[in-house]
Amino acid sequence: MNTLQRLASNLLVASAMISGGVHADQSMLRNRAIAYVMTDLFWSVYQTPGAIQECPQGFNDGPREQFEQLFPYHQALTVEETQLRQEIETWHPTTESDGFEFFQVEGEISWGVNLDGEVGLNDFVHPDGTPGIDNELYRAVGCIIGFRGPDGVEYIFQNKAIADERYNRLMIELTEVDDLENDDSVTVSVYRGLDRLLTDATGSKIVPGGTQRVDTRWGQKLIRQINAKIVDSKLITEPIPDLIIPWQNLNVPSTQLIRDARFVLDLTAQGATGLLAGYADVDTWYYQLIRNDSTHHLSNGQISGISLYKALRRLADAHPSLDTGENTAISTALDIKMTQVFISH
Amino acid sequence: MKSWFKFNYASALPFLALVMQAPTLSLAADESDSSLAAEDSELFTEAYRDVPMPLEFRVEATPEGPVFADANGKTLYSWPQHKLRNGYSGEAKGTPACYDEVLTVTAGLMSPYPAGIKLPEIDSRLSCTDLWPPVLAEADAEEIGKWTVIERRDATLQWAYDEQPLYLSIRDQQPGDVQGGSRRRYGGDSPAMRVPVGPPSLLPPGFAIKSTSIGRMLTSDKNESVYSFEGDTATSSACESKCLANWRPVVAPALARDQGEWKLFERSPGVLQWVFRGKPLYIHLLDQSSWSLEGSDSPGWHNVFTQDAPSYPESFTQQASLAGNVLADSSGKTIYRYNCGEDTADQLACDHPDDTQVYRLAMCGAGDALKCLQHWPYLIAKDDEISTNRTWRIVLIDPLTGRFAAPDQEGAIRVWSYRDRPVTTFEGDNQPGDVNGGGTGEWRGQRNGLKAFWLRDDYMNGIL
Repeated sequence: MNTLQRLASNLLVASAMISGGVHADQSMLRNRAIAYVMTDLFWSVYQTPGAIQECPQGFNDGPREQFEQLFPYHQALTVEETQLRQEIETWHPTTESDGFEFFQVEGEISWGVNLDGEVGLNDFVHPDGTPGIDNELYRAVGCIIGFRGPDGVEYIFQNKAIADERYNRLMIELTEVDDLENDDSVTVSVYRGLDRLLTDATGSKIVPGGTQRVDTRWGQKLIRQINAKIVDSKLITEPIPDLIIPWQNLNVPSTQLIRDARFVLDLTAQGATGLLAGYADVDTWYYQLIRNDSTHHLSNGQISGISLYKALRRLADAHPSLDTGENTAISTALDIKMTQVFISH
Repeated sequence: MKSWFKFNYASALPFLALVMQAPTLSLAADESDSSLAAEDSELFTEAYRDVPMPLEFRVEATPEGPVFADANGKTLYSWPQHKLRNGYSGEAKGTPACYDEVLTVTAGLMSPYPAGIKLPEIDSRLSCTDLWPPVLAEADAEEIGKWTVIERRDATLQWAYDEQPLYLSIRDQQPGDVQGGSRRRYGGDSPAMRVPVGPPSLLPPGFAIKSTSIGRMLTSDKNESVYSFEGDTATSSACESKCLANWRPVVAPALARDQGEWKLFERSPGVLQWVFRGKPLYIHLLDQSSWSLEGSDSPGWHNVFTQDAPSYPESFTQQASLAGNVLADSSGKTIYRYNCGEDTADQLACDHPDDTQVYRLAMCGAGDALKCLQHWPYLIAKDDEISTNRTWRIVLIDPLTGRFAAPDQEGAIRVWSYRDRPVTTFEGDNQPGDVNGGGTGEWRGQRNGLKAFWLRDDYMNGIL
């Protein structure tokens, strides 16, 4: 066999391996397991062109605009009467009115999941027509520029932080998988990874096939394990009572606490895309936001922490406090993208 | 043996004479600080290069490494130019910007708040030179080496080093004090800090030193951590074959020679490895970030420091958080430091009990001192505890004002302080390792807020 013949033969073998014999979506299964690492994470916001449907009154003002309205003659006032007053309202928030009208989402459509199994008057309708969607956080943040894609400050910062900072390296591992398209019982483990993401030569595109070690030291408290099923390549987990998402940007290590959290992800051998839905603890959510983003960063997204906190408390729809009866958590959904990864235990 | 005593004002007279121009000065010493200083100086061992200097100055050993000091041993500081959100502050080389003018309005150097807002407590506000007396030079002062004399706008002469005007800090009370500033790395949203100035460290080319919360860390000039191994000696290495897959010896050029604490070890013919204080040096190839401590997790391996940070009190603990180790009290609650710098042209700090408390009270308790005590309680010293050193001291605080208290003042509390700034815990931390208060306040706790006291950073890009 000459060189050309050997080359042709090798190409035929390679072609056969790619096109048949092994089902593509099963090819990454190892010992009945497959894992994915998070690469994108956004608060799920359903957007229409010009925001006409969901925000007919426009977008909310942020700290800079509110300051100008509150203190048009700030030169006559002191730091205590102006800057510190606003910072106090930000860091010691109340449910009292701040005098500004808050524009919340008025549309009927939202991404998300029916978390409570009911179809209520306040519920949204999924774009596919499914009723009963619980996503009150969208109602609160949907008309704030900073939470809207593709260039809102939260949208940009968090995605960059997910890729850049190992603190945010959330992973799921599916075990006891017999079939990546349909399996009525798999186990899902949630871990934090320790390693950087595998990228292509540009350094910006995250590619499958990387390896991650499990953070069992600093990240021990993040580990969760739940049952799930796969239906037509869609992973649906049971609710996790208290999922902690490591959430850091700008070097302030913090977390999000999602109660009754569940993953709904379309699986392939290369990645997983879909939603992480549940009820976000309101105080954890709010303080994560303002600890990571100074008033300056909030201003860039026209995010008034002062106004937003009041909306969060007003729209909170789950987990009432045993002391006050007020709801402490708000329904939400996160858009997530994950890339296949090999976990080294 | 240290003992409690009333503050000895006589011993402070030389210091008082130096700063007599300062309108307010609180003295909160709770015990014999002179013995603490002597204890400290034995810990600060970093070697430095002799540089030509005027006779009136000397070098002092401090927690920040060797620094220049005046004839009384007081640390000299510079105020390097620093880029802020809406402009620059600090001093360009050769250009003093700290004067005796009492500023009255904000500068709008940060965002989103505009310039021109009236500053708090203007009647008692100090000027830049009240807090930072310039190091004045005599008319016949002779420049030498990097020491030069520059003219201030009032025609007085001021010493400069490497063209940066030099100042004292009224916060420093004893030789070796660096209460006025730090060499620790600070970010773009921090105030324009004052930085202790000193001679160059005695290092071979290719090395650097970083001031951290745990000591002066030896690194490569690419910010890689440098390690030593317990099994090595100055003339032998136990790291061979497989070990070398994870540990890269720090090799020296063929022309390198021994100098002071730095020696050379020929680990194989023609290959010289740097040895510091009797131990060959290595880089840990698996470290994932600059200034890492990851390599020290391997048994027998240690990061190398030219000097350790002053010890924290024995009752304190270290706790593991989601991002690394934090300093905590005896019950495991994370310890926080308050940071504050005003949005003014002179970037004066507002983090000290002698500074205005308006900012701190706003952040910790919405302006209410009692709420501050509830949300961010001071770390009370136990009755049998005494100050550990000049860095970790017990001070007397008036809890209702946040200011230093007189020794016999009713209601005064004994609290732990770091560089004379009281430290706190946070009511929102529920279990050891929680850092739920970190980043509270303006600019993620950098300008008017609180940051956790980190001892190990595995995720924050060298925050120590």
